[in-house]
Amino acid sequence: MQREEKQLEASLDALLSQVADLKNSLGSFIYKLENEYDRLTWPSVLDSFALLSGQLNTLNKVLKHEKTPLFRNQVIIPLVLSPDRDEDLMRQTEGRVPVFSHEVVPDHLRTKPDPEVEEQEKQLTTDAARIGADAAQKQIQSLNKMCSNLLEKISKEERESESGGLRPNKQTFNPADTNALVAAVAFGKGLSNWRPSGSSGPSQPGQPGAGTVLAGASGLQQVQMAGAPNQQQPVLSGVQMAQAGQPGKMPSGIKTNIKSASMHPYQRPCFPDSSLAISPGYVTRPPGRDRPHLQLWR
Amino acid sequence: MEAPPVTMMPVTGGTINMMEYLLQGSVLDHSLESLIHRLRGLCDNMEPETFVDHEMVFLLKGQQASPFVLRARRSLDRAGAPWHLRYLGQPEMGDKNRHALVRNCVDIATSENLTDFLMEMGFRMDHEFVARGHLFRKGIMKIVVYKIFRILVPGNTDNTEALSLSYLVELSVVAPAGQDMVSDDMRNFAEQLKPLVHLEKIDPKRLM
Repeated sequence: MQREEKQLEASLDALLSQVADLKNSLGSFIYKLENEYDRLTWPSVLDSFALLSGQLNTLNKVLKHEKTPLFRNQVIIPLVLSPDRDEDLMRQTEGRVPVFSHEVVPDHLRTKPDPEVEEQEKQLTTDAARIGADAAQKQIQSLNKMCSNLLEKISKEERESESGGLRPNKQTFNPADTNALVAAVAFGKGLSNWRPSGSSGPSQPGQPGAGTVLAGASGLQQVQMAGAPNQQQPVLSGVQMAQAGQPGKMPSGIKTNIKSASMHPYQRPCFPDSSLAISPGYVTRPPGRDRPHLQLWR
Repeated sequence: MEAPPVTMMPVTGGTINMMEYLLQGSVLDHSLESLIHRLRGLCDNMEPETFVDHEMVFLLKGQQASPFVLRARRSLDRAGAPWHLRYLGQPEMGDKNRHALVRNCVDIATSENLTDFLMEMGFRMDHEFVARGHLFRKGIMKIVVYKIFRILVPGNTDNTEALSLSYLVELSVVAPAGQDMVSDDMRNFAEQLKPLVHLEKIDPKRLM
């Protein structure tokens, strides 16, 4: 007896605390709905519902707990009904039940649902019994199948949309193009290479090989220039240009060591081996200035 | 003859050796808009600047193995702008931690008779192209996004065709020699452009 009483008390306490929590969250939800309805967002409402559902779950767990005695077996009998205000009751119920009287008791100590609700429930049970076990089973199965189909569709949709977002929709750069462009800028690969060899027209674009010239760097591939077919190329060597950082300093400090000219009959007049100042008088038009490729610069 | 490496040159007054730090990448045509938007957000606030340049690369072949290269550039859409002559040295190798390609760089503005001058000096034009694109700045960093057009008829800059379906993206800084923290800043900026563009140090010698 003692044990059962203790168990009863303990479970009652647990139940009380759970119910109090539930009441609080319900209260806050109602407050939210009433006062902040214009700012309310669906996720926030969902949160409140989730909270309520969680609390109901714990309540259920408490009731199902093995240490909980069957409350069904307990009966609550009002001992005294009085129409007077009861301060104690007021305090305990937080002002909701001021009087423990004839009107209050049937509502609060109810164990059966309303008569109308009871009628409806009875009707539903008779309907269900009428259908028959097999038909009922079939209906249950079809309901389950439809629910699972729907769930599958939803999850598939969710998965697809997620993966669509993660997949990089398109490549934004092409490494081969990068290399081609860098090569074009660095040493003219793929651009029309001008060979001052007297032959007409630009060389075929993209033709590497003898025509390919490499951006100035030592140790790179040497351009083969045969002596004879390349006219009017005096061999200049050792051009050193001063490091001029600002405009205007360019002409200063240019020293050219001009060695002997090429063997070709069309050659410039020989210059003395000395520092050469660029003066108007020096410039003689080298023959072949009217060569087609040079007409560009007219 | 190639200029000796910068580190060997004595510092004898006057000019400072400027180095160009370079990172390159490319972007496909259809992603150009997104890249431009991102650059407009990241870079200094200025009017979007487009340019059309015609660049010619001149070679001076000597008795030595490697020719001397000069690059002449002129603007096709800005009348009256000076021509620009540039020398770019060999990329300085060795430091694997350096995140950008570093090479000696000499820039100068010239008058319009540059090509005549170079021809007289004995340079010959090796190749030319037209570059059309956008220019952005962030501090000392310059970001250029441009398309290279091949010139079909020499000398005729109207008759061009695109070299590829991509735009070349270059992030460059011209700074005095020895300032390697610049390359760290460049790498941080390049990180912000991923995954649209991968800016990296591309060694031209690898692409011969």
